Amino acid sequence: MNKLEISNKSVSAPNMQAGTSEPVQNNASSRKVLFHKLTTRYFWKDIVVNLALYLLLLDLAFVFLYPFLDMIITSLKTEEDLLDITVQWIPSKIFWQNYKIALDSLSYTSFFKNSVVVTILATVGHVLSCSCIAYGFARYRFKGSGILFGIVVLSMIVPVEVLIFPLYMMYSRLGWLNTFLPLTVPAFFGFGLRGGLFIFLFRQFFIGLPYEIEEAARIDGCGPLRTFSSIMLPMSQSSILVSIVLSLVWHWNDFFEPSMYLFKPKVSLLPARLSGIISMFNAEKVVEDYAETEIIFNEAIVMAAIFLVILPILIVYAFLQKRFMEGIERSGLTGQ
Amino acid sequence: MKKLTIEKKRRLEGILFISPWLLGVAIFFANPIIQSIRLSLSKIVKFKGFVMKWYGFGNYSKAFIWDINFVPMFLNVIKDTFINTPITLVFSLIIAMLINRSMKGQSFFRTVFFLPVLLGTGHVMKQVLGMGIGEDAMAVAKGILMPEEFMRYLGPAFTQAVDGFLGRITLILWKSGVQIIIFLAGLQGISSSLYEAAHCDGCTSWEAFWKITLPLMTPVLLLNFIYTIIDSFTDSNNPIVDYILNYGFKNNQFGYGAAMGWIFFLFIALVCGLVFAFMRKRVYNAGLKQG
Repeated sequence: MNKLEISNKSVSAPNMQAGTSEPVQNNASSRKVLFHKLTTRYFWKDIVVNLALYLLLLDLAFVFLYPFLDMIITSLKTEEDLLDITVQWIPSKIFWQNYKIALDSLSYTSFFKNSVVVTILATVGHVLSCSCIAYGFARYRFKGSGILFGIVVLSMIVPVEVLIFPLYMMYSRLGWLNTFLPLTVPAFFGFGLRGGLFIFLFRQFFIGLPYEIEEAARIDGCGPLRTFSSIMLPMSQSSILVSIVLSLVWHWNDFFEPSMYLFKPKVSLLPARLSGIISMFNAEKVVEDYAETEIIFNEAIVMAAIFLVILPILIVYAFLQKRFMEGIERSGLTGQ
Repeated sequence: MKKLTIEKKRRLEGILFISPWLLGVAIFFANPIIQSIRLSLSKIVKFKGFVMKWYGFGNYSKAFIWDINFVPMFLNVIKDTFINTPITLVFSLIIAMLINRSMKGQSFFRTVFFLPVLLGTGHVMKQVLGMGIGEDAMAVAKGILMPEEFMRYLGPAFTQAVDGFLGRITLILWKSGVQIIIFLAGLQGISSSLYEAAHCDGCTSWEAFWKITLPLMTPVLLLNFIYTIIDSFTDSNNPIVDYILNYGFKNNQFGYGAAMGWIFFLFIALVCGLVFAFMRKRVYNAGLKQG
């Protein structure tokens, strides 16, 4: 290696001289440059390092993708394919029937409606309330505002186990159990599922914005509410998008709170339905003669059901993906 | 109407903006917290209407003395957190740095590494991973990274260690989508001119990482640290969360459940406080340094 380097140097030095004095020999010198490039250590090091990094990334990406691929492929397998260990990646026949059974047993259409209502209401609540509250925290300093923001942070770290019992008692007294109110109303007050985090996110973004625009607005006679709604909100599109995506995803997938407050089957949401199917599937594995149920769930149907539940989120994310990533970078999440 | 001074007016405006939150705090936070403290110090005598009786610290001592499950489970969760959090941070930082390089397929990788977040940290993921898919994935990935023959050459003890480590990592990787995104956002915020200047002065990329990237990432690191700890403690996959809820709701022992919740929370608060105190002086703060 060392020897090669030395020879490179001795080649490159006259080459450069030749290049400057005789520009006519362009072809030959460019070939020499190419030769030079190919024989430098750095060039090869670059390629090797890049290849290694790509390999590592692909490897990691595979770990992330595998469960998804496996889920989709398993969901399309027939009963025979599930038992056949030689069929791993390519099912012998694409079996759409699984999806039909999964749709029926989830009662997808009616519970889809429930999930959509809760998710959209809660997301709207989060975006409206958290942006407004965060603006108050970012731009107004008054006595006690520091302590109040401390409480916001505290509300992020208090685990749900501490609050769940009194909240349950409160909702039970109010008669809110088995309605969507416990899941949506707190979101409109900056609470609910990780509400504090959204306040934090918006506040970081507003702090990063320059004061001058608001000052100009105020001088022109624009009131504080108007300043917020027609100047600050349009400027914070990226943060709004990030909040929408995260709030949608978290509410859609949330199993814990709905399972606490919604225990009547009529009002349950999709994740709860899914968990019902999964527990039936697991029960069948234990008790062999579980013949009473009309449908016998196999792994393929369970996977189809899981896929159906996350499908809406995947579709929404596919549309918002690019702007979401840009938004994350601009959201000021990192305090820079 | 009396004329308000500008200061008073500003103050009122500020309170106006956070008024929904003030209302929310009273209803959904302060009140439940007080109730929860009360609950943890009492026993529910009649479930209809939640009639309570003073019980003192009985619930707390019960957790430590009487309940044989709570303390071992608690210790286990603590152990897991202390192992998992640093691994999560290191791996998500590495992945974020890898996908931060300008290269082909960048958006593909970004989407892939965010996918687990879409599945949620909750129930669905538990099911998918519970079916043993995660381990399969790791086995295949391990095969690509490290051939079987090579592993055999190094002996069973090493193989076992690697297997244990990798098994843990799959789960961790799957939970680090948000952390990767946050790190990525932080990395994007570092100006490339810093690296160029350092490079001109003969700085290697290794040195650049320790002297530029890491110091500038400390605020992000702190944010991620806190997020990871909270996420791991409030995750519904956490056995202790399950235990508390089961105990509270199935056995109708709200008081004892609340007490366990408080013990748990005090521990989280302690950890967060320690981390904050430790990182506070070490966090690079651009505003302070300049001003």
